[in-house]
Amino acid sequence: MPILFRLYQPSVLICHYKNSKTMKNLKYIMAFMLCIITASCKKYLDTTPQGVISSADLTSASNTDAMVIAAYSKLGEDYYYYPYAGMWAYGSLRSGDAYKGGGGPGDVMEYNEYETFSLNNNTNTSSDQVWYQLYVGVARANTALTLVEGQSLANYPQKMEREGELRFLRGHFYFLLKILFNHIPWIDETLQKSQANYGAVSNVALTSDQLWTNIANDFKFAAANLPVTQTQVGRATKGAAQAYLAKTLLYQAYKQDDKNDVTSIDQTLLAQVNSNCDSVINSDKYTLDADFADNFLPQDGNSSESVFSIQYSKNDGTPLGRVDFGHCLDYPMNVQYGCCGFHVPSDNLVNSFKTDANGLPEFTTFNDTDVVATGNYQTDTFDPRLDHTAAIPGHPYKYQTGLIYDASWARDPQTYGPLLSMKETVAYTDPSFTRFEPFMSSSKDWEVIRYADVLLMKAEALIQTGQEQAALPLINMVRQRAMNSTALLVQANGKPTSNYHMDIYRPGVNCTWTNAYAWQALMFERRLEFAMEGYRFFDLVRWGIAADYLNSYFAVEKTRTPHLAGAVFTKNRDEYLPISQNQLNFSKGVYKQNPGW
Amino acid sequence: MRKLLLFCSLLVMLAGGAYAQSRVISGTVSDDKSQPLPGVTVFVLETKKATVTDIYGKFTIEAATGQTLRFSYVGYQPVLLKVKNESKNLNIIFKESANDLNEVVVTGYTSEKKKDLTGAVTVVNVNDIKDVPEGNAIKALQGRVPGMTVYADGSPNGAVTVRLRGTTTLNDNDPLYIIDGIPTQRGLQEINQDDIESIQVLRDASAATIYGSRAAAGVIIITTKKGKAGTQRIDFDASTSLQYYNSKLQPLDAQQHGQAYWQAQVNDDEFGPDAGSPIDPSVSNGIYTYNWNHNYTNPVLYNVNIPEYIDAAHTMKAANTNWFNEISQTSVLQNYALTVSSGTENSHSLFSIGYYDDIGIIKQTGDTKYNARYNTDYSFFKGRLKIGETLSATYMKDPVLPTSSITLLSLIENPIIPVHTVDGGWGGPVAGMDDRDNPVRLIDDNQQNVNAFGRVFGNAYADFEIISNLHFKTTYAGDFAGNYYRWLQLPYVAGFLSNPATYAGQSTDYEVTETWQNQLTYDLTIKKNVFNFLAGEENIKDKYQNFNAQGQGLALANIDYAYLSEATSNILAAGGGSSDALLSYFGKINYAYNDKYLASVTLRRDGSSKFGADNRYAYFPAASVGWRLSEEDFVKNNAPVISDLKLRFGWGQTGNQNIANNATYSLYQSIYGNAAPFSGDSGTAYDINGTGSGTLLSGFTAIQTGNPKLKWETTTQSDLGVDFGLFNNKFTGSIDAYYKNTTNILISPPYLAVLGEGGNEYYNGASMVDRGLEASLGYGGKIAHDLTININGNVSGYKNKVTYLPSAVLTGYPGNGTTETVLGRSINSEYGYVVQGIFTSAAEVQNSAAQPGKGLGRIRYEDLNGDGVINADDQKFLGTSDPNFTYGLNTSLAYKNFSLTFFFQGVQGGLVYNSYKYLTDFTSLAPGSNWGTRVLDAWTPQNSKSTIPALTLIDANNEGRYSSYFLEPGSYLKLRNIQLAYNLKSIFKKIKIQRASVYIQASNLLTFKSSLYTGPDPENPSNAYPIPVISTIGLNLSL
Repeated sequence: MPILFRLYQPSVLICHYKNSKTMKNLKYIMAFMLCIITASCKKYLDTTPQGVISSADLTSASNTDAMVIAAYSKLGEDYYYYPYAGMWAYGSLRSGDAYKGGGGPGDVMEYNEYETFSLNNNTNTSSDQVWYQLYVGVARANTALTLVEGQSLANYPQKMEREGELRFLRGHFYFLLKILFNHIPWIDETLQKSQANYGAVSNVALTSDQLWTNIANDFKFAAANLPVTQTQVGRATKGAAQAYLAKTLLYQAYKQDDKNDVTSIDQTLLAQVNSNCDSVINSDKYTLDADFADNFLPQDGNSSESVFSIQYSKNDGTPLGRVDFGHCLDYPMNVQYGCCGFHVPSDNLVNSFKTDANGLPEFTTFNDTDVVATGNYQTDTFDPRLDHTAAIPGHPYKYQTGLIYDASWARDPQTYGPLLSMKETVAYTDPSFTRFEPFMSSSKDWEVIRYADVLLMKAEALIQTGQEQAALPLINMVRQRAMNSTALLVQANGKPTSNYHMDIYRPGVNCTWTNAYAWQALMFERRLEFAMEGYRFFDLVRWGIAADYLNSYFAVEKTRTPHLAGAVFTKNRDEYLPISQNQLNFSKGVYKQNPGW
Repeated sequence: MRKLLLFCSLLVMLAGGAYAQSRVISGTVSDDKSQPLPGVTVFVLETKKATVTDIYGKFTIEAATGQTLRFSYVGYQPVLLKVKNESKNLNIIFKESANDLNEVVVTGYTSEKKKDLTGAVTVVNVNDIKDVPEGNAIKALQGRVPGMTVYADGSPNGAVTVRLRGTTTLNDNDPLYIIDGIPTQRGLQEINQDDIESIQVLRDASAATIYGSRAAAGVIIITTKKGKAGTQRIDFDASTSLQYYNSKLQPLDAQQHGQAYWQAQVNDDEFGPDAGSPIDPSVSNGIYTYNWNHNYTNPVLYNVNIPEYIDAAHTMKAANTNWFNEISQTSVLQNYALTVSSGTENSHSLFSIGYYDDIGIIKQTGDTKYNARYNTDYSFFKGRLKIGETLSATYMKDPVLPTSSITLLSLIENPIIPVHTVDGGWGGPVAGMDDRDNPVRLIDDNQQNVNAFGRVFGNAYADFEIISNLHFKTTYAGDFAGNYYRWLQLPYVAGFLSNPATYAGQSTDYEVTETWQNQLTYDLTIKKNVFNFLAGEENIKDKYQNFNAQGQGLALANIDYAYLSEATSNILAAGGGSSDALLSYFGKINYAYNDKYLASVTLRRDGSSKFGADNRYAYFPAASVGWRLSEEDFVKNNAPVISDLKLRFGWGQTGNQNIANNATYSLYQSIYGNAAPFSGDSGTAYDINGTGSGTLLSGFTAIQTGNPKLKWETTTQSDLGVDFGLFNNKFTGSIDAYYKNTTNILISPPYLAVLGEGGNEYYNGASMVDRGLEASLGYGGKIAHDLTININGNVSGYKNKVTYLPSAVLTGYPGNGTTETVLGRSINSEYGYVVQGIFTSAAEVQNSAAQPGKGLGRIRYEDLNGDGVINADDQKFLGTSDPNFTYGLNTSLAYKNFSLTFFFQGVQGGLVYNSYKYLTDFTSLAPGSNWGTRVLDAWTPQNSKSTIPALTLIDANNEGRYSSYFLEPGSYLKLRNIQLAYNLKSIFKKIKIQRASVYIQASNLLTFKSSLYTGPDPENPSNAYPIPVISTIGLNLSL
């Protein structure tokens, strides 16, 4: 209520009138009214914003620490429309490992555009969204870095460690942007945030190599300042930073020209990959989990194989829980679950799990016959990782012998076949499972880098530097663990779910371990080990084989599924997503489109 | 409708004796509300003596018995009166009539007579809509006000969108409502229709500027009924209606759905995506099996076999469910209003209660509304001080159902699904179907969730006449509105959809708006010059707060148990608030010379808390002039058919401030977690401890970048109008042309992503122009002895044009964002691909431009740029959804005690995006859904004339893209209302009754639409709540 109202109530006016019937008194009344009408009420418009906080209020030590948490929070804030934690839409669907799934090509059409490449375009809103979301992560890290750097060590003893964590997080978001879009604007905390300042930074201001160096520098700083072990397990550690640094350097080592062609492989960088992997390995902090399944079961989150994991939670005071929304479409269409049948393993991928008589992968012939079409998993022999990865009709779903996966659980089997992906899902009876109609997901943590990746990155660096012999035991460690991981792959009658037969590489016994062979083995091993985990496409681009690999894949796969009829990978274009037309427009010409688009 | 009528009643006072000579005769002239009429010319025909009435309506004139006095007043037929012997003190009353130019029109803080208006103001004839049982008076105005369009679906409590003179801004285009002088942005849903005395629509800026910063989209002024002097009256109105739908889609039945599925598979195998690896259509989607000839070149389906059960567990028997019939019903709507009023010379009071109960045509939907109103005023000191109040209270109860989901689901849920399982559970989707819930379950499981809304809205005022004609008025108004909503989500299983959890929750909010107005008015008459002065000040403060909470783990799934205290897990609470303030000063001068030359000047200064300190205040000026040509002798003498003719021109500026309250500040918010099923999380909580549950650490999220330079957006509008009356005002009408230019439109455009969260910033950055024409024409007259007719029609059209947008935001609007943009076009432009037809031969497929997914029976898109490739560059502007013109025609016929009224309303031109076509023309865009019957007529090599693309299950050709295929003519003509009433007064002659009539009425009875529009109702093109036909029987009674 305005203050004036209390001062000049109408009743006052009436009294005046009663007592004054002359024109003289009228003057007072007029003065009153004038006073009301012209009264200065500047303060009347000063309304305080409700329920918000200004940036000045964030500079306390406790709020600064809270802003570090806000940066971490972005790690797991992906969504099915921009799944940057699981990366399946970008790295799986585009790799020949998976089909989109769901209710036909029009259901989340943006991913159909990804999968077919030929339909992809610069107005794909999922591309625009993931770009934005990842820059939100960068911005949160930068905001917190500014606050942390403004603190004194005395007032804020955790300063260096937090700075390391934030640069680790920023490195992570930039790494994802880099592998998706290649040419990206680099913005760090040294640039004061404003529309004008940020808008002036071009995505081609830095070369691809300079961008990699910047990302690597963030991880280097993190590795130098982070402790080996954190009491709060969600925080980045020295090992995580070293592993991510190795990953960054590995990508940087494959030098690309401005047409995305791989022109050389930098041996010095590969040596650094090797040494950083060694640091992780020699820390003795990490081991492979005993069973491959442990990586994909909720109870084994933050296990010794987890180098860096995104932490999810439920019953945590948020409306739906901070769960894995990025994978929320990947569950079967049955009464135990109910939606939405996305992320379907391709026939090609399932065939790749076939093993030869020696228990080794069939590098060149695996796809000559289609096991999915026959549905017979007893005649051929298989790598056990098949049944950890793909949901197959007649096989227990997610290790539950009482819940046999049925072809009818697929959303649109006529388009996408009967299979589904399983690494990201959980049993419906698991405490981590949660529903938010019409979708569902879990609070199972998601491993961004697991120890197997460190081993295979090191093996890759070794093979590419001519040290294939040193790589062999690393690859075999990964295979040995896979071989051992059959305990959960049993049917209700106790028999193995599929006909497993697998072996490690035994040079001279079951193979000839040349450099070329080792390279085949390494590439194949990465596919089998990390299938459906979201990074396959980026491996193909890094190795410079994406165009040939995918067009060969389409040639056969389009005879198996109608939705790939028009799929074509355009070399020197499709290695990276186009910069969204929106961003090009907003930048007013500062951004340049990627080659080929 | 009242007929045009001039009525004179003469009250003769006894005179002393008889005089043969001239003598002084005095008297008073007043209107039928006992208000004295100044300026009435009194003329003695025989002697040519003349005088005018003074401000108290009094006159004296010399006249002799047998001479004739003529009383003339603008807008009325002259009254002739023979002086009789006994004539001495005369009392002349002009009775008001429908097209009465002396009708008082509320124009903002003050009122004017219609003849003096210089702005574009529409006075709604409330009688026309009084008996239309819409539950929201605004809905009944569709088509009755030139330039005004009302968008509403058929839901009992659904949102109503009102647009005056097209699209003014990119922001909120809702008009400002003024209820009994108090501005409010709540519409009329909560007002008892029977309480409304008058509705006036200020269409142009010269009229609306007095409301300044919130008036850019027009102003609608509502005045509620007051008691009248010298009356005691009881009004009772009752009506009961039956509602049913007649605009429905034709979904497939179970057999037809199987047939369409088979046809799609045959097509896919023969010439579609499966041609390389046919899938045998003897079985499809795990449910249907077929007997057919297995001849792909001439396929014949003998039989669609439907299994006994559709699920493996044999809980759901195959059905043939018509889901729309299952969710809809013929429903009853009741409306009762009782008003008692009385008035003396010094006090008036009115009390009314209303009850409105609308049971929706979707089961369990509805709106129950209780209204009470108390309006009083008292005069003191011989009328120099008037104190009054208006007070209304509303209580509404509305079940909260997901009605848009329910209506959509009723079209897409598979017909083979039974409503219930064999053991009484819910039917639902099985393998091969979409994850669509059973709409009957949604109704049943949500019916207990009721929102209660309460509002007390009123004002108290004192009007004090300081000296003669100088009034000071102060008004204080309070508007308290709040919602209370408690809900229960029940556990369920429906096919493969299920949720075992039970949730309970509640939310409450309240909003308080306080308004305090002070104003001075002064009326001054100097000879033929009449001045009205207004100076005023207004303070408005608004505060809103909400709270909501929910919990899980209830022991009983029962709404009477489902209170938050009974929740045992996952208890969450949230709340928020906002506030804003407005401080305004305004003044207005109206001037009239000899009823001939009119002028008005307005200035308002508004300050708003929503704007930056630098730009907090703005001035809104307006000026208008009018010229009553009909008062000029050259018109009077040369064109006697012209009874009234007025030219007017107005210019003014109005504003819009409807943006977020804190737009001038850069802010962070503590958002813990906010994910919803259909949007991701942007909170800051993180399980840094890796415990997987429990309270998490969290931080703050940037929510916006402040812009301290923000200011109003300004609409500058010019209006040229003419009002006319012909043949003693039997024909009346007006024509307005306007030009409206809105600049500095407040936009919060999408921004460069690298800014991250909170990069959104409001700024003044777009311009838009509307130009339009509006005309209305009325005729009222007697066409036979007992037969009178009244016809009122209006037609209006406008063109919208975006004149400026920052280049960076162009991608957010129709066009490609670079070479083809919405600049220079209507904001409602449609942009997309052009459909040329469908491929009907292999040669055509072969020879056409490269188009991913092209094939026989597929849509052929036009290669607009001729580069031989169909891609995003082959799009263009296809038209606009703006109609060419809209119109309304109301006709009333009265014969003896009968009256018949019918009202047509229509829209001509404009394209409508018919999203129903996804379902009616395609089996591939929603492959797991049910479809419309049009798919049965789709193209096949055998049915080669069809324009519906061949059925397929795989949309390889991307046919859901925005294209001309979905744009259809939006023209329609509706018989909005037809009413037949019978006046019972003659029957009740013996009883003292003022008014008694019964009527039958129907709304939305007939719709005419273009044959090219394939959906049910172009007025309601999305999958919204259908607009029902309402047939009503009612009674009006006044004692």
